[in-house]
Amino acid sequence: MARADSAKDDAGDRSDHEDHGGDIMKITGAKDSIDEATFEQILEMDDDEEEREFSKSIVYDFFTQAESTFEKMDSNLEKKDLKTLSELGHFLKGSSATLGLSKVKDSCEKIQNYGQKKDEKGEKDITEEDGLKKLETTIKQAKQEFHDVEKVLRKFYNDEQ
Amino acid sequence: MDAPLPLQSDSARSCILHPISPTEGHANVIAGHDNDHLVLDIFRYTSLPTFVLDANLHVTHVSDSYCSVSGIRNREQLLGAHVDDLGANATVPSNSLSHRGIRAAQDTAGPSIFNESINDRVWTLRTVPVIRDGTICSFLMEVQDTTEAHQKQLELEERMYTNETFKILVDTIKDVAIFMLDPQGNVATWNAGAQAFKGYTKSEIIGKHFSGFYTQEDRDNDKPARELRDALNNGACEDEGWRMRKDGSRFWANVVITPVRKDGALLGFSKVTRDLSERKKAESKLIAVYEEASRLKSEFLANMSHEIRTPMHGMLSALTLLLDTQLNPEQLELAHIIQESGEVLLHVINDILDYSKLASGSFSISHDIISVREIILSVFRAHEKVSKPGITLEKDIDPRLPIAAEGDSFRFRQIVENLVSNASKFTEQGYIRIQATQQHEDDTKYIVLIEVIDTGIGVPLIASGSLFTPFNQFDNSATKRYKGTGLGLSICKSLVELMGGNIGFRPNPEGTGSVFWFTAQLKRVEHSKRLGLIQNRLDNISFPTSPTPGLDQLNILAGDRRVLLAEDNAINRKVMLKILIGLGFNHVDIAVDGNEAVLMALKASPSYDLILMDINMPFLDGVQATKEIRGAGLDVPIVAMTANALKGQAESYIAKGMTGYIAKPVDRKLLAELLLSCLEQEDSGSARRGSISHNQVPRGSYD
Repeated sequence: MARADSAKDDAGDRSDHEDHGGDIMKITGAKDSIDEATFEQILEMDDDEEEREFSKSIVYDFFTQAESTFEKMDSNLEKKDLKTLSELGHFLKGSSATLGLSKVKDSCEKIQNYGQKKDEKGEKDITEEDGLKKLETTIKQAKQEFHDVEKVLRKFYNDEQ
Repeated sequence: MDAPLPLQSDSARSCILHPISPTEGHANVIAGHDNDHLVLDIFRYTSLPTFVLDANLHVTHVSDSYCSVSGIRNREQLLGAHVDDLGANATVPSNSLSHRGIRAAQDTAGPSIFNESINDRVWTLRTVPVIRDGTICSFLMEVQDTTEAHQKQLELEERMYTNETFKILVDTIKDVAIFMLDPQGNVATWNAGAQAFKGYTKSEIIGKHFSGFYTQEDRDNDKPARELRDALNNGACEDEGWRMRKDGSRFWANVVITPVRKDGALLGFSKVTRDLSERKKAESKLIAVYEEASRLKSEFLANMSHEIRTPMHGMLSALTLLLDTQLNPEQLELAHIIQESGEVLLHVINDILDYSKLASGSFSISHDIISVREIILSVFRAHEKVSKPGITLEKDIDPRLPIAAEGDSFRFRQIVENLVSNASKFTEQGYIRIQATQQHEDDTKYIVLIEVIDTGIGVPLIASGSLFTPFNQFDNSATKRYKGTGLGLSICKSLVELMGGNIGFRPNPEGTGSVFWFTAQLKRVEHSKRLGLIQNRLDNISFPTSPTPGLDQLNILAGDRRVLLAEDNAINRKVMLKILIGLGFNHVDIAVDGNEAVLMALKASPSYDLILMDINMPFLDGVQATKEIRGAGLDVPIVAMTANALKGQAESYIAKGMTGYIAKPVDRKLLAELLLSCLEQEDSGSARRGSISHNQVPRGSYD
C-alpha cells in the first residue's frame, strides 16, 4: 500500500508542475534523453524561475564533471584499468541520475557493469577482452549522448554557443 | 464262496476227532484220553476268542470267549457247521474276512492277520494253518478286538506324518529365515531360507550368537539382548530394521522372536526374519514421489501467489489513486468495497505464499536487530486505533526484556500481529491483553514469552488439537463472520519453530476466552544498542501509510536538527543539500566519503539527529561506515541512498544497521516522509508511521 501512496505522490508531482516541464521537453532531443519528473524536481529548487540560478549551476557543474570524468575514462581505457572505469561509470551515473539525464545514466550503468566484467545488465560474466571492447564503444556512446543532452540543456538555459 | 479244498478231508477230520487209535497201547490211551480233554479244554476256555475249522472248513472247536464276542448264544449248534454258516450267526468275523484268512493260510502255509471294522470297532482275525504231512488239516482262527491298539497306531502314524510335513515345510520356505535359538541366543538350527538370504552356510552359523545378524550400531545399543528380554517378558518381540548378511551388506527386515517353552521350561527362541528390502524400496520410492509432489505443489503455490501479488499491488495502487479523485458517494462506496476486498485478498495471498514457502522448506528467517518491546508497542498501537468499542486493549511488558536482540523482527511481529488479530476477531467485549515476559537469559540468548489473553468466545476443546494445522478454522460455519484462510496459526507455528520456540494455547483462567502464547529464542547482540527505529521499517511493511505527511510538520521538526550528509558526488551533494534546506533543515554537515562520515559522526557533539548515507563511496562505503558508527554505540537514524535499488537490497541495508533507505534520484516528497517518520520515532516512539521509500513505485528505469 505504501507503493500506492508513492505512486500517487508521483502523479501529484507531475500534474502540479506540468506547465514548467513543457519548456525543456519541447526542445528537440529532450524527450529521449531527459526524465521529465526528475529534472522537474531540480527546476523546482530554483528560487527564481527566470534566473534559474540553482539548477543552472548544477547543470553546468555536471558539464564540467562529465568532461573530466570522460577524460579519466579515456586514460583508464588506455591503461585497461577496468575497476577504475567501473567506479567512474558509477560516479557519473549518480549525478546523471540526479539530473534525470536518463540516456547518459543508462550508459554509465553499462560502463559500471562492463568494468566489473559483467554484461550490460550486470548479470552474466564476460571476459576482460570483451569488457574492454564494450567499454570502448559504450564510453564513446556515452560521450555522444552527453553532448546531445548538453545541447538541449544549453538551449534551455539560453546559452547556445 | 471258496472252492472245496484239495485236501484229504477224512483223514484231516479224524486227526482231530480221533487223534489216537485204541490199538496204540493202554498207557498211551490213558494219556491220550487226558490229553484229549486238555486240548478240548484249551480250545473251549481260552480267553483268546478262537474257533477251529477242519480242512473242509467245518467248525470243530469254539471257545466260550468267541461266543461271547460274536454274540452266539448256543455254542453247540455251531459245532460241525460250515464256516459260511458261522458267518450267518456270528457278528465277527465276516465271511469274507474268514475266507481271506483261510486263503492266505492256504497260499502261504503260514499265519496271517487281517482286520475289519464293524460298528466302529476294529477286529483282527489271525489265521494259523495246522499242517500235517504237508497238508493243512485244520485252521486255528483267533478273533480279537484291536480297536484301542489300532487307534494308537493311527495316531502315531499321523504324528509322524505331521512332523515330517513340518520339517519339509520349514525347509522349503526360501523367503523367510527361520531360526531356533538356544536360551542364550546361539543359533541351534535354521532353515534353508535363512541360509539363502543371510549368505552363511550351516556350519558357519550353528552355535554362533544371533547378534551377528545385527548392525554394529544395534549391537552397541544392546538391541539383540534387549529383544530376547522383550520376547520373554511380552511373549513375543517384533522389530523392523536393518540386518546384516555375511558379506556385510544390509537388508531391511521384519523380525519376530518368540520364546519356545516345553512344560514351562525355556527351550530357546524361534526367530522368524522376513526380507522387506523390496517393500522398503517401494515405500521409499512412494515417499519420495509424494514429497516431490508436495514440494512441487508448494512451489506452484508460492509461484502463483507471487504472480498474483504483483498485479494485486498494481490494482490496489491504482485504486488508491482512484480514491483520491472526485468520486460521487456511490462510486466512493464501491471503490471502498474493492479496496477492502483487495486487501483481504492480498492478505490471503501473503498467507499462502508464507505457507507454501514454509511447507517447501525454502523459508528462512533473517537476523536483524530487534526490540521485542517496540514490536509489542507497535502492534498494540495499531490495534488500539481500530479496536471494537467494549474491548479494552491492555499491555504488560516485562522491563527486563532486552533492548536489542538478534531475531527476525518482521516475522516476530507477524506472529504477535496474528495472535492479536485473532483475539480481536473472536472477542466482542471484555479485554485483550498482550503480555511479554523474559523467561530466560544467558550469555548467548534470551527466551521471551508472549501471551495474548482475550475474553472472547474461546476455543472448543474438540478444535484444540487441530488448531495449528493448516487450512483449519475451528468453526467452518463461522467462515463468513471470521474471514481468513485458516493458515495464520499454522504459519505462526512454523515461524515460532524456526525461532526455536513453542506455541500453544489454554483457556483463559479468568473465565471465558483463551490465552495464546509463544516463546522465541533471541540471540544476544554484542553491542547492545537501541535501534528503536528499526520499527519504522516494520510498520511500513505491514500497514498502509496514512496520506501525505504535512511538510509543515517536518519544517517545524527539522529546524534545530543536525544532519550529516555523506555523498561523494558533488552534484548529488548540492542537490541533496538544496532539498534538505528546502525541507527546513538548517544544520547540514557534509562528508565526502565514508571515512569522513564516520569521523564526523563520532566527533559531533551533540551528535547528529540524522545521517543520510550514500552507499557507494570511495575508501569506506556506506554500509561499512554504518557498521562503524553502530559499533561505536551510536543509535542515530541512518538513511541509505542508492541508485542500486535491486530487489532485496533495501532489506540487506537495514539488516546491516541502517534505519531506512531511499532510492536515487531522491524524490523530495518521499524523502520528506521518511525523514519525518525518522524524527518522530526518535522523539517519542509515537504512533505515527512514516513512509519508507523502498516501498515506492520505482521511477523510470531505476528499479
